[in-house]
Amino acid sequence: MDELELLKKDWQKENGNYPKLSYNEIYKMILKKSSSIVKWIFIISILEFVLWSVVSFLLKDADYNQRFKEYHAESIMTPLMILGYVVIAYFLYRFFMNYRNISVTDSAKVLMENILKTRRTVKQYVAVNLGLMVVSAFIILSIQFNRDEEMISVIEKATANGELFKFYAITIIVTLLVLALLIGVLLLFYYLIYGILLKRLNKNYRELKKLEV
Amino acid sequence: MSKELEHNFVELLEKHQNIIHKVCRLYTNNYDAHNDLFQEITIQLWKAYPKFRGDAKFSTWMYRVGLNTAITLYRKSKRTVSTQDFSDVQFKISAEEYDDTEEQQIKLLYNAVRQLNDIEKALVFLYLEDKNYNEISETLGISEVNARVKMNRVKTKLKTILNP
Repeated sequence: MDELELLKKDWQKENGNYPKLSYNEIYKMILKKSSSIVKWIFIISILEFVLWSVVSFLLKDADYNQRFKEYHAESIMTPLMILGYVVIAYFLYRFFMNYRNISVTDSAKVLMENILKTRRTVKQYVAVNLGLMVVSAFIILSIQFNRDEEMISVIEKATANGELFKFYAITIIVTLLVLALLIGVLLLFYYLIYGILLKRLNKNYRELKKLEV
Repeated sequence: MSKELEHNFVELLEKHQNIIHKVCRLYTNNYDAHNDLFQEITIQLWKAYPKFRGDAKFSTWMYRVGLNTAITLYRKSKRTVSTQDFSDVQFKISAEEYDDTEEQQIKLLYNAVRQLNDIEKALVFLYLEDKNYNEISETLGISEVNARVKMNRVKTKLKTILNP
């Protein structure tokens, strides 16, 4: 006989042999809180939105930023700031819409897709934020090159010594290294958190996708 | 949520609780984990219950939520790390026609099924529950043809595990 048929026979005759929970035991269970990954994804995602908003808010408010007033660079900084707000509003909206779509009564594949979609929105938000940060860093740097008095005097000195190229190269390389380090640390952090949280989901999703090929 | 809803739900669940126990049996291997998964499935069912419409059978609906919780939503909590084995013996009934070789073979089969991955277990579970391929394909979100193909592969895989 087919192995599974044998198992089925046994499986079905065991109907009465499972633990039997009472009405009260089940009632107590429905009062407890879920610890599903969707709940964790929700909490972590909201924390990410808050963290990144706070980071960009703090950067804008720093003393350092006050110096920008002296450069009269509002025409560049204000649109960047507004862009930041539009970005967070857009991604928060998409995040909540995706989150609302997660339903445990969908098929396994659709459920997994909806969870992954929610995650993707947050990832895109962080990526866009990082992109904005890199762009801002270079805009700020170029403003400083042109308008910061200290910087201008350093540049003049460098020009007099014939080391202008060296100066630009070092400044840009240092900026790039700092940004790369920052992004590297973030990616590692992401890899760890989501590697752990979504490992099983990703594995099962790949398994279902594989069936379609 | 209203008391009446609560009451109806708990009563229905009490009646159909075996479905959840069976899911737990395939996806966990110790007593604590069994209880933990049982609880999470119950919570998910309760959360989804207000949207449950009578046009689907309660038990059919339970299969879907139960499997989705086991495959996708459930996060093993720390307290489920236990050395206490949930032996199949606990479920065995002392069959009148006790057949040692068949008994042994069934035990090996259960162990083999435990070695399958989450999706394969879901297929086996629905198959053991006598679900047709249409229902299997809808529960998992794959086509009926692919469900059949996969089921055949699972059977081969089980054979390989049993006769390495």
